[in-house]
Amino acid sequence: MAILRDLFTALRGGASEVGEAVIDANAVRILEQEIRDAETAIGKAKQSLTRMKGTEIRLKREIGVLDADIADYEQKAMAALNGGEDALATEVAERIAELETDRNDKGSEQAALDAEINKIHAMIKARERTIQKNKRELDKVRTVRELQRATESVSSNFAATGSSEHRVAKALERVKAKQQNWQDRMQAGDWMEDKEAGDDLDAKLRDKGIGGAGSPGASDVLARLKAKTA
Amino acid sequence: MTLDELEFRLNGFTGEEGTTFDALVTEDGILEVVCSNNDEFPIHVTQTETQLLSVTALFRTAEVLAGKQDEVNEAFLRLSPAVPLSSIGLQGDTYILFGAMALDTRFEIIAHELEVQAENTVDVLEVVEHLLA
Repeated sequence: MAILRDLFTALRGGASEVGEAVIDANAVRILEQEIRDAETAIGKAKQSLTRMKGTEIRLKREIGVLDADIADYEQKAMAALNGGEDALATEVAERIAELETDRNDKGSEQAALDAEINKIHAMIKARERTIQKNKRELDKVRTVRELQRATESVSSNFAATGSSEHRVAKALERVKAKQQNWQDRMQAGDWMEDKEAGDDLDAKLRDKGIGGAGSPGASDVLARLKAKTA
Repeated sequence: MTLDELEFRLNGFTGEEGTTFDALVTEDGILEVVCSNNDEFPIHVTQTETQLLSVTALFRTAEVLAGKQDEVNEAFLRLSPAVPLSSIGLQGDTYILFGAMALDTRFEIIAHELEVQAENTVDVLEVVEHLLA
């Protein structure tokens, strides 16, 4: 289903009012129904697949039992032959033949069932892929609907604020002014931080007697006077 | 994350670049987000079953200078690949900037995308400002 093409046609056609269907509402309902039907069908197919698999497992087990019985009777027939009991060996051979017929019948039944199971399994997988694809298509419709809803919600703000001349330019100017103001404050904050860090550094240097000679003390003055008289 | 949860968390959050958010779920069930880095163009957030959609309405076709709509369209088509995290589109008669995120996107990523979308709005509008009435 080329939903995107339908969407585009509908949107180009001006289906943009709130509540107006972006594509034929029936088409969406049909798609939703198809998804639900396919999911129900898959659910039923899985149940029947489980029953078939159960039967197949039972047949396999019965074949295993028959194989064991055949092997057991073969040993017994050999023992009878070795003991010269030909009549008994013939009787056992007849039983083996019956068991083999039974086993072959069950074997054919199991092989047919196995093929059927694989076929249904593949079919379920294919249907599941189709459902996923349909769900993705449906999500495209819902996305457009939500975008439409959100846009209408924002557009109503235009109406509220009035679409005056140079609306965008004025709004941009206000945003830029605020951003500039914010940047100025950030810069001022940085300057203050630097300043404080700098003052702190000067104090540390003074403590260590490096640079920035402070106010001269009495001893400095005395030393200077002594130097002059010398 | 539901829109109500997103509203609650955004209101107390500050982005890496210092952006704060003012979020409110409207009566229509749409989350309106005003980012401090661009409080003139609110972002409206809504969701489908699989994704969060964030929409900023830019301007209406009626606001484009006469005969300049093709120029606006071409500018947007050329600009679109260069705008990170946002797409530009036309919804009805309104040009929009929008983003889409998976429903399980981490809150910090959502907040960052909204912050970037608010910033992209200014950048995109600057490009076509001279084509608008």
